Parts: sequence; C-alpha cells; structure tokens
Amino acid sequence: MMSNTEIWLTIIGLTLLTVVMRNVFLVLGHRVTLPPRVQHALRYAPACALVAVILPELVLQPGIGGGGPVMDLASPKLIAGAVAIASLLLTRHSTAAIVLGMAAYLLLR
Amino acid sequence: MSPKPADRQPAAPAAWIFGRDAVRARERRAAFVQGLRASRPALMPTAIWGVVAGIAMIKTGLTVAQALSMTLLVYSGSAQMAVLPLIAADAPVSIALLTAFVVNLRFIIFSATLWPYFGRLPMPRRLALGYVATDVGLALFVSRHANSPEHERGNEHQQWFFFGVAAAIWLAWQPASIVGILLAGVIPGHWGLEFAAILALMVMTAPMLAGRPAVVGALIAGVVSVAAAALPLKLGLLLGVVAGVVAAMAVDATSGRTPTGHAQ
Repeated sequence: MMSNTEIWLTIIGLTLLTVVMRNVFLVLGHRVTLPPRVQHALRYAPACALVAVILPELVLQPGIGGGGPVMDLASPKLIAGAVAIASLLLTRHSTAAIVLGMAAYLLLR
Repeated sequence: MSPKPADRQPAAPAAWIFGRDAVRARERRAAFVQGLRASRPALMPTAIWGVVAGIAMIKTGLTVAQALSMTLLVYSGSAQMAVLPLIAADAPVSIALLTAFVVNLRFIIFSATLWPYFGRLPMPRRLALGYVATDVGLALFVSRHANSPEHERGNEHQQWFFFGVAAAIWLAWQPASIVGILLAGVIPGHWGLEFAAILALMVMTAPMLAGRPAVVGALIAGVVSVAAAALPLKLGLLLGVVAGVVAAMAVDATSGRTPTGHAQ
C-alpha cells in the first residue's frame, strides 16, 4: 500500500495528466501532426496497458513469506474473470457481466 | 432579463448558462437537451461503473477525502481503476502515473478527433470542451455528427449538443461514484469488493479488442506483464505494454495495409 503522501501525489499527478491529455490537440491544433504509424501505436496502447494491469491481477497470488508473486491458474479471480467475459459475450450486457463475475468470485473464495 | 417563460421544457433557459439573447438561448438549450437525450442509453452503465469505482477506491484503502478528490478531479474511470492495483501494491508514483498515461493515450486520439470540429474556437471554449470529453461522450457525438458538412463543424449547435452529452455523463458518473464511496463504508471489508474494479476494467477493455492486431497485442501485453511480474517497481507492466504495442503493429503490418477496427 502506498503512503498517504504518495496517494495524494498520484491523485494530483493524475489530475494534471488527464487535463493535459484531453486537451493537447484542441489546444495545439495544427502545430502538431501525428504520423500514421504513431496514431496506430496510440490506438493499440490503451488496450495493451489495461490487459497488462488486469491479467496479473487474475492469475498471480502474492507470494508467501516475502517471496515473489506465484502463478495460480485455479484462482477464484481467474475463474470469476472467465465468468465475466463469458457473460459479456453471451448477454452483451456490461452490468450483468460485472454482477455475475462478482457473484462467482464471492462463491468461490 | 429571463428569456421567455419555458414552453414545455421543465427547465427555463437559464441566462447564466445559455446567454441573454432569447432566440440564441433557446437554440442552445434545444441542442443541449438533444445532447442530454442522446446520452440516455449510456446513463445506467455509466452510473453502475461509477458506483463500482467509488467502492473500489475505498476498498483499496483510500480515505474518503482521497476517493472524493480522485473522482471529482481526475474524472477518468479507467485511469482511476488502473491505478488502484498499483496503489495497493505500493508501486512507485511514477509507475502509477506512467500507467495512467498509457491508458489515457486514447484521450490524445479523442482530442485529435474533436479538433476538426472545435479546433478553431476561442481557447477557453476549447479547454471547456476538452475537459468534459469522455469515451462515451465522444462516441455519441461522433456517431451523431461525423457526416455533418464542413461548414457546420463545431457550430453552436454541435458545441451545445456536446455539452449536453457531457453534462449527462458527468451527472450519471459523479453522484454514483460518491454513493459508491459512502456505501463502501457500510459493506464488510472481507467481501473483496475491490475485485469489482478489475471486472469493470475487463468490461471496459473488451470493446477495444476489435481486430486481430489489437487482440494479439493485448494477449502479448498480458502474458509479458505476468511473466515479468517479479521485476521491481512494476516494470513488468511497462514491459508488457511495449511488447504488446510492438506485437500489434507487427501483426498490423503483416496483415496488409487496411486498418482494422475503429478508433475508439
């Protein structure tokens, strides 16, 4: 867990970051052009970052006794995640996916 | 001073919002209301995601003041949720911010998408429009106005429609998020509700995975991030992102020049 100060720094940093990023183009306008290759990379980056955050949360358990994280492919989180994805594909309903995923998680743990 | 009594709208056109000129105020209000109406299908999912975000922030260990500040100032659900596991894992602030930066790269695309519409407006107006831009708002705006003729781009009607959408999304998100923050204090801690944030992130990510390059890139990013999880400072996460983007672009290059999927 981050310290209180670190959390506040993160919140302030996030605020500045978000304001700037939402406005770069609207403010700078013509003075910047993005090469198509960069635009491509920008398009793929957010999904990559989100999956890179999500997947470790699903399959890794914190190591016992100060060890590194341990892979656990039968963790309740991974199964619950699979339930959520399956529900999303079947029902196309994001709320149902969150609720069913959470229900699976609560039942399994 | 007040421009005409309201006809059938419940809210009279407030001069402090829509200006004093009665005719223009009515047009602006009409566009604003159209924006509010257009957002209707997005309100429920936004509100639920707001409650989940509120609960998750508190269950991760933020104080109520921190959670309220985060939701009101940052106003970016995906960046907030992506940072929570890093806060819990005591990652360096710089890594948390870098992660949020990458997740928010899509805002740069939004900003570029809005530029043809609003890029020539006075700077304060541009800043206001940029600040309230959200994923949902942009999607609604573009789906409505993408085919508008050149001379209509960024006109008053489009601006006020955009503000209407933005206001609806803001009003769906913020109170819901605050409810979640307050509710979290009542729900027992051992329910593991912080996990709902991960599920919400998954649901949010799913529509971005359109087309083979995006899917391959995301898979590589996830696998590398897991494999390199033992690296200090959460560097495995960044390694995963870089590997994923490179992989996506490689697949893109080999699968011909046709761009796949749509810019989100």
